Amino acid sequence: MRTECSREWDTEGELMAIINGCEIPDELHYYLEGSQMTWIRLDGENATIGLTDPAQTRAGRILHVRIKAAGTSREKGKPVATIESGKWAGPVHFPVAGTITRVNEQLELRPVLINDDPYGEGWIAQIKVTNQAEVAGLLKADQARTRFNEIIARDNVKCIRCQK
Amino acid sequence: MTEDTKKLLYVMTNGPENPDKTYAPIYTAALSAAMEIDTSMYFLMHAAELLKKGVAETVALKKGGSLKQFINMALENGVKFYVCEESLRDLCNIEASDVIEGVRVVGTSTLADLALDADSVISF
Repeated sequence: MRTECSREWDTEGELMAIINGCEIPDELHYYLEGSQMTWIRLDGENATIGLTDPAQTRAGRILHVRIKAAGTSREKGKPVATIESGKWAGPVHFPVAGTITRVNEQLELRPVLINDDPYGEGWIAQIKVTNQAEVAGLLKADQARTRFNEIIARDNVKCIRCQK
Repeated sequence: MTEDTKKLLYVMTNGPENPDKTYAPIYTAALSAAMEIDTSMYFLMHAAELLKKGVAETVALKKGGSLKQFINMALENGVKFYVCEESLRDLCNIEASDVIEGVRVVGTSTLADLALDADSVISF
């Protein structure tokens, strides 16, 4: 039974050396730069963006999401959305340069979908990729897992999904 | 940042003597920076103590954790931290070398410059 979802970025418990409950799906690409832990599902020139399981865990129960409007174009590393949880306030960056084609309007009323289902109903935005050359710089799942192992061991993450 | 980027200045006067008043300004500034607002924080009076190495870790928050994680988050999001040199030295007896990384130690006149340059000033 998972009843808590807001304080499991545990910096005081025992050290975990392995990924602990954090799902890192094979079929996605990942953008792990600085504080960014974002997934991207590529589909030709289009792509969907969302927060990874460790990222939603770090944020805790998400209270508000502000997504930039469809039509907004930004370079890689600029914000596509802003996430607030009370313990985390931060941007979600474009993993590659793009133009927003669709935003997940469900998140306005139910931001916790990002916690419940980060790779599914909790997607944040769909974009048209405007610089395909940057796609090669994204991490594949096996590369991302290596990096996540480091992050998870360092910060002692235990991934937990909010109870629906 | 483009030419039409908005600028916010947060002025922070509460220090470790009043932990309940330390979290919200820093959290709000972190959020502003995440929203692509050019965000600065100016710490003066006892707020300067929060930026001494090792102090923020001791400021326990009612929501759990310490203030340090929120200072780190704000810096990571790009908030520019300024601390008043006079407050540091004369009020808090803190040497500039004891201030955490990422903070600019500046004179009082910088507050006027920052305020005039900002689109809005929010004071705590």
